[in-house]
Amino acid sequence: MTDDRSASTGTLPHPQASVAPNTGVTLAPVQTSRARVTEYTIGTLALVGTVATVWLGVWVTPPDKVQGDLVRLVYIHPGVAWVALYLAFGLAAVSSLLYLWPRTRSLFWDRLAAASVEVGVVFNICTLVSGSIWGKPTWGVWWVWDARLTLTAVLLIMFLGYMALRRVPAEPEVRARRSAFVALFAAVDVPLVHFSVNWWNTLHQGATVLNANLSPQIHGSMAWTLLLGFVALTLLFVWMLLVRYRIGVLEDWLADNELDLALAERQSEGAGLDDKSPSDQGGAA
Amino acid sequence: MRYVVGGYVFILVVLFLYAVQLVWRRRRLARAVSQVAQVAQVAAAAPPVPLRATAGRSIDAVPIAEDPT
Repeated sequence: MTDDRSASTGTLPHPQASVAPNTGVTLAPVQTSRARVTEYTIGTLALVGTVATVWLGVWVTPPDKVQGDLVRLVYIHPGVAWVALYLAFGLAAVSSLLYLWPRTRSLFWDRLAAASVEVGVVFNICTLVSGSIWGKPTWGVWWVWDARLTLTAVLLIMFLGYMALRRVPAEPEVRARRSAFVALFAAVDVPLVHFSVNWWNTLHQGATVLNANLSPQIHGSMAWTLLLGFVALTLLFVWMLLVRYRIGVLEDWLADNELDLALAERQSEGAGLDDKSPSDQGGAA
Repeated sequence: MRYVVGGYVFILVVLFLYAVQLVWRRRRLARAVSQVAQVAQVAAAAPPVPLRATAGRSIDAVPIAEDPT
C-alpha cells in the first residue's frame, strides 16, 4: 500500500525516517525537494496572477457601457466557476473513474479525487456567493431559482455529501469505492450546469467566451483581464490540490502506522519490565 | 462599487483562509509523522519481545515472570 503511494505522489522515503522492521511501522512519506520547488513555483505564480487580476479588474479596466462597474465582478466570477465545476469536479470524476477501472485501480486516484472535491467545494461556494453579489444590483434579488443557479447549488450539496461520506469509518478500499460511485453520480450535474443556459430559458446569461459560435463577446483589456483571472485561479487550484493531496498522504500514513507503533511501544515496555529482577517489580516473587 | 468590493473581498478572504488552513494542517501532520517515526525508531532499537499468551485470562492476570514464552 505504501509502495503504491510513494511511487505516485512524488514522496520518497526519507533515510532519517526509515524504521526498523520489527516495529511494523512503514517508511514515513517525505516530500522531495523537486516536489517542494514545483509547489513553491506554482504558489508564487498563482499569488502574482491573482494580485494582477485584482489590480487590473478593479483599477485598470474601464467600466462597461451596460453593466457599469459591476462588470468588474465578471473578471473573477467565471474563473472561480471554471475551477469549481470543470477543473475540480471534472478531475474528481476522472479520478474516480480511474479508481473504479480495475487496470488503473490505485489509492492514488482516490486521494486525488478527495483532494479535488474539497478544493472544488470551496471554489463552488465562492461561485455561488460572488454570483449572488453580482445578481442583487443586476437582477434586484440575491437569489432566483434559475436553472443554472439551482443546479450549481445542487452540485455543491452533492459534493458536500461526498465529503461527509468519506468521513464514515471504513476500510480504505471500501471508502474509495463508494466515494468514487458518489463522485461519478454527482459529476453528471456538471454538463447539466453547463448546458442549462441553452436548454432552458434562464435568467443567467449565456457563455461569453466558450459559446456555441466560439466567438468571444469580450475584447481588449477586459478580455485579457478575464483570461488572466482564469490562468491565476487555475494555478491557485493546482497549488491547493498539491497541498491537499499531501495532507491526504500524511493522514493515511498516520492512520496506517499508529496501531503498529502503539504495539511496538508496548513491546519495548515489556522488554524493559522483563529486564528488571523480580525484586525490582515490588518483591512479589 | 460596494458590490464589486464585497465580491472581491469575499472571494479573496475565503481563498486566503482556506490556503492558510491547508498549510497549517499539512505542517501539523508532517510534525506528527516525524514524531511517530522518531518514536518508532526508539521502539525498534529495543529487543523484540513476543507477546504474552493469556490463554483466555485477563492480561493483568498473567504475571510477566511466569510468561511461558
